[in-house]
Amino acid sequence: MSIIKAPENTPVWVDEARCKACDICVSVCPAGVLAMRLEPTSTLGAMIEIVAAEACIGCNDCELNCPDFAIYVADKSEFKFAKLSDQAKERAEAIKKNKYMKLSA
Amino acid sequence: MAFNYDQYLRLEKMPTLWCWGCGDGVILKAVIRAIETCGWKQDDVCVVSGIGCSGRFSSYVDFNTVHTTHGRTVAFATGIKLMHPDKHVICVAGDGDALAIGGNHTIHGCRRNIDIKLIVINNFIYGLTNSQTSPTTPQGMWTVSQKSGNIDPTFNACDLAIAAGASFVARETILDPKKLEKVLVKGFQHRGFAFFDVMSNCHINLGRKNKMQSAMENLEWIDSITTPLKKWEALSDEEKLNKFPTGILKHNENAREYCDMYEDVKAYHQGKRKAITQDDFAKKI
Repeated sequence: MSIIKAPENTPVWVDEARCKACDICVSVCPAGVLAMRLEPTSTLGAMIEIVAAEACIGCNDCELNCPDFAIYVADKSEFKFAKLSDQAKERAEAIKKNKYMKLSA
Repeated sequence: MAFNYDQYLRLEKMPTLWCWGCGDGVILKAVIRAIETCGWKQDDVCVVSGIGCSGRFSSYVDFNTVHTTHGRTVAFATGIKLMHPDKHVICVAGDGDALAIGGNHTIHGCRRNIDIKLIVINNFIYGLTNSQTSPTTPQGMWTVSQKSGNIDPTFNACDLAIAAGASFVARETILDPKKLEKVLVKGFQHRGFAFFDVMSNCHINLGRKNKMQSAMENLEWIDSITTPLKKWEALSDEEKLNKFPTGILKHNENAREYCDMYEDVKAYHQGKRKAITQDDFAKKI
């Protein structure tokens, strides 16, 4: 496994080679930034996807709760994060009700 | 850049063999962050682990590591600490490793109050061998070895450590990694035996027949059986039976550490002092 390099000007990024699709990061995200998509090549048939990077508030919960070192959040000094909006909260609730899967457009 | 875990990991061993959503990974991250907060160098830390899912812990971290026999983590760590009193020794054991086969070593490590940090990853089941009853399995739960429901009374690991004489005892869960990290840092900076009972999930082996098939369902169950120490103290005796208090349960900074006492033995054999007598100890019996 190779060392992850931080991409520039990105609030949250994922290494899909490390992710095991356990849904924990989606369940802890308060802003609905993350969701799972169907992925036939993954063991559990799903893979993490960043669906709304612009809504990330930088709370770091997904990074702290990820057991597999797959997800990273930028430092607050490096990136200006958004504030938690009602729309983001609603999206987070909807994703959780949708069994952590991505909402269809 | 976010926190760089990679410098503390053996990347050729990754990804971990643990199941998806396993709490061991969360604890691994918290331990790495706590070690960074303490400012310890990688060469000054020794991680000792036994057998079980938790035994994989020492394979993934790039410190000095020892992967020992089943239950003997504290025994090996005691030897390492006595030879290198200036190094930091961290033991990682599962509930079977630390409380069942290694229960004897655990209580005597606590009794000696030697400067070892013992992290017990308590997932309430023997996970690696596929769901046999462990000393911490709640009564009434399905296990492979007790398919009619577990009747064995459960162990309270922290009460055991307090009674055995550990000078730092804390219980935490993986639900709040920030709090877990803070408690780990306090324990790591304490000089003496630090015992952490970290409640973790095993939705694969504990949850599969106990209605907790996903990681989140298992975490919600852990949330329902734990409560912070201050709230726990306010509960009635009946409610206390069904809740585990979390936080730092015991912190005694005055207890003498074993390596410090062993310096007296060294000094005696070097002819620098007289033999040790009962007068050297505040507690005579």
